Parts: sequence; C-alpha cells; structure tokens
Amino acid sequence: MIGTVAGLILRAIVVLSGTAIITFALLWNAPGDPAQAIAMARFDALLTEDVIDQVREEVGLNTSFWSAFVDWIAPLLVLDFGYSSVTGRPVGPDLWVAITYTFPLAVMALAIGLAISLPLAIIATKNPGGMLDRLAVATASMGTAIPAFWLGLLLILLFAVQLNWLPAMGARTPVHSILPAMTLGFGIAASLTRIIRSGILEARDQPFLPAIRRRGVPVRAIGRDHIAPHAAVPVVTVVGLELAFLLEGLVVVEVIFGRPGLGTFLTSAIVARDFPHVQAVVVLVALVFVTVNLIIDLIYKRIDPRIGEHDA
Amino acid sequence: MRSVTYLAVAIFLLAIVGPFFAPYDPAAINIPKRLSPPSSEFFLGTDALGRDILSRLLHGARYSLGLAFLISFIALVIGTVVGLLAPLGGKIADWLIMRTTDSFLAFPELVAAVVIAGLMGAGMWSLIFALSVTGWMRYARVARGIGLSLQSRGYVIQAKLAGLSPLAIARWHYLPSLVPSLTVVWTGMFARAIIGISTLSFLGFGVQPPTPEWGAMLLDARIHMRSTPLQMIWPGLAVVVSVLAINLAGDALRDSVAERSEHQ
Repeated sequence: MIGTVAGLILRAIVVLSGTAIITFALLWNAPGDPAQAIAMARFDALLTEDVIDQVREEVGLNTSFWSAFVDWIAPLLVLDFGYSSVTGRPVGPDLWVAITYTFPLAVMALAIGLAISLPLAIIATKNPGGMLDRLAVATASMGTAIPAFWLGLLLILLFAVQLNWLPAMGARTPVHSILPAMTLGFGIAASLTRIIRSGILEARDQPFLPAIRRRGVPVRAIGRDHIAPHAAVPVVTVVGLELAFLLEGLVVVEVIFGRPGLGTFLTSAIVARDFPHVQAVVVLVALVFVTVNLIIDLIYKRIDPRIGEHDA
Repeated sequence: MRSVTYLAVAIFLLAIVGPFFAPYDPAAINIPKRLSPPSSEFFLGTDALGRDILSRLLHGARYSLGLAFLISFIALVIGTVVGLLAPLGGKIADWLIMRTTDSFLAFPELVAAVVIAGLMGAGMWSLIFALSVTGWMRYARVARGIGLSLQSRGYVIQAKLAGLSPLAIARWHYLPSLVPSLTVVWTGMFARAIIGISTLSFLGFGVQPPTPEWGAMLLDARIHMRSTPLQMIWPGLAVVVSVLAINLAGDALRDSVAERSEHQ
C-alpha cells in the first residue's frame, strides 16, 4: 500500500516536471523577441539594440535552453512568480485577488451541478427506459453539446436583457455571480447526470444484490449501503474530468461576464504578452490539476484496491 | 439511431457543398440594410455590416466543421503513433511515453489551447496547431491500451518470431484492431474540436473576424445583443446541432462496436 502511494506521488512529480518543461519550451519558442517585449515594458521608448541586449543578458535569455530553464524554474518552486512585465507589480498578490473571484464561482457552479444532476439521475433510474429517463438523457446530451460561452450569452439575453432580473457584467455583489455560476453549473449537471445515471444502473446489476434483498434488507438500506458506494466509483473518476471542464469553462465565462478572476487574468495577460502572468496561471492550474488527480487516485485505491494494478 | 447518422453525414456534406447554396457573398457589405430582421430577402437577417447571416453561416461551416475535421484527424495520427510506440518500444519507452502523455494531460485541453494559440499570435494556423497538440492524448491512451492487450496474442508473438519489423506488426496486426475504438474516440474529439474552434475564435485567439467562422460571428453579434438578439442565436444553434448530431452518431457507433466485440 505504502509502495503504491509513493509510486503515485512520484508519478505526480514526474508529470509536473514534464509539464514545466513543456510550458517553458512553449515560452522559449513563443514568437517575438521576449527581451524586446520586456525592454519595451520597462523603458518605454528607449529601445536601442544595446538596451535590448542588456535586458537579454540580465534576464538570462542569452543562455542555453536548459540553463535558462533552471533559472526559470528555481523561483517557481518556492511559488515566487516574479513581477509583471507590463505593470511591474509583483504577480503574487494580483494572482491571489483573481483567485478570490474564481474560487467561490467554481464552488457555486459545482454545487449547482450536483443539485441538478443527483436528483435528476435518481429520478431517471427509478424506471430505466421510461419517459422520465429518456427525457433526462436527452436533456443531458443536449447540455453537453452547448458551448459554455453560448449558454452564458443566452442567459444574459434572457435574464439580464429581456427580463432585467439579474446583473450580467462585473463582480461587485454576490448577485453578480448567479448567472456565471448557472452557466457553468448547467454544463456540469449535463455530464454528471449521464455518469451518475450509468453508475447507478451498473451498481444495480451487481449479482450480490438479489441475495441481499432475499435476506430481507429494506430497499432504502440497500440503496444507501450497497448501490451508492458502487455508483460512487465512476463519479470519483469523473471529478477529475469535471475539474478540467470547470477550468475551461471558467476562462470563457469570466471573460463573457467581465469578472476579474483567473480567466480574465489569463486572457488579458496573453493579449498583453505578460509572460510572468501567463506562466503563473499555467503553473497554478497544472499544480491544482495534478494534485486533485493524485488525490482521486489515492481515494480510488481506497474504494477499490483492484483498480490500477495493471496500469503503468 | 440511423437517422442521427444521416444527420451527421448531412451536416458534413453541408460543410463541403454549403457555400454553393449561399444566396449572397458572405463578405458583401451592405450598410443600408445593416442589422435587418429575418425577411424573404435575408432569411436570417443581416449583421452589423449588412452581411447576410445565412450566407455567412453556410460559408462558416467550412471553417467550423472543416477545421474540426482536420484538427481531430491530425490529433488521431499523432495519438495513434505515440500510443503504438509504447507497446512496441519496450518497458522504458512505454514509461517515458505514458509520462509525457500524462504531462500533456496535466492541463485542461482548452485552457492549454488558449495559451498556445494566444502566445503564437492569433490566426488559423495557431488555432490548428494549438488544438491538435492538445488533443492527441486520448487516442494515445486508447491505442496503447489495445496495443498492450494484443502483445500477448498468439498471432502477434508469431509475427515477432517470424522476424517481422515492429513497423509491419503495427501496420498489419495492431492497426486493424484499433480502428473501431479509435473511430469512436474520434467522433467525440471531432465534436470537442468544433466547440474548441468556436470558443477560441470567440475569445479572439482563433479564426479572425472577416472570416465567417461561427464563434467569430458570435463575437461580432454579442455587441448587438440588445437590438438584434436573433443574430446571436443562429451561429450558436449551428454549433449545438452539429455537436449533438456528431455526439449521438458517436454513441450509436460505440454501441454497435461494443455489440460486435461481444459477439466475437
């Protein structure tokens, strides 16, 4: 057990290093001269060749790929994200402010997604293949086909423009996060419904259930003690996928609703070619993503020790 | 389910022949008729520059669907090659390849695509590169899984003993078994690519405005949400219908593949 846990952690570290190398290779090969960009941000008009060369030397851009990589990764290992190449302010505090906008939104979206999908899946599986079941599956298929940005625009159109019930732009009050959270929550609900539904159906087919039933265990207790844990296995896996969906959706939704969260932070940094900002978000997202997936793997091992034995 | 497959094929054909049915030039600017509602002259109305929305949708299919096809196909090729290198190359190669795949997976695909396309500079080639390079991992995992399960099959071992090169084994013994599963993965990735292209274009990192791509059209339409909300409905509806049709066709395909492997 300890061996596999150590193995999983080692694997996560290897993966993170790989991600770091890929990210740095991308920044290293990004078109345009980064030294020129930094010089421009720092000294505005004083752009002679000498100045650019000196900046290149100072930032360490004239060295080889690997030594530049070591210089780049060292401060990131202690979560020092450096200074914005546009504003010159330290990246850390600005990043933190963005997180305080993004995190509550993500939690709200997950809550909405679960609040819709769980009852829907349970109602649907009462009578598999029946009207309600088909309706739930159709709605879920529909939901996964709608791109987050269009759903967001439609909700703005309905609730902000036509009905004038909710504010659409900005993040001043908690009310402002209702529409973005709904946009993300519906998308999550669509994919979760399908997975929870098939999880319940599969758990119900388990051969030991008739035996338990014949022993006279009440229906409610069977659902709680025997079906739910089985249905939980695929759901746990999907949490990782949902997180990916959530992060992708957050970028788009924050831009549409003009929220100053991580997504807006990232896209405006890309447009301004503010590399320290971009890499801070990239490092943060990879860290969160790999950590969550590591935790999922560990939980997985606990729920079902058979899983992953033959996985490399 | 057959009807869904027909619908998917119809949408696909539309991308090829659609532009010939367009009543107007998708780039023809007609300022006096700007933002006009649907009428017998303009079936779906016109946009802020008076361009016919129906014509733009039909031409846009070529970008939205055609590029999605190209991207998912490039990713399919990369993924299959990478995935097959793992079982053919031995234990160390397998470990290295799978950790590389994991490293690429350690990042939500669309976020990675936004970063890559954005840093490369917005444009169609950046878009193709960004979405292909972030979209091959699922194929690789499926190809590797099937490849590993085939490794111990009698005919593969025999082929190895007969001195067949790894390339030949991959071509004649692995590839045919991969086709059904990879096709199912491909339909899913095709649908994802459509959403990816429109999302990136909507954010301004993909196909650039004068080109009538569906996501870029939504970006244009968004500003005029109050005056002409309908203008925002059409391109989104086009994305949803295409993605839904392809997803459902993929589901049907998966069911028939599963059925066939049960019969074997």
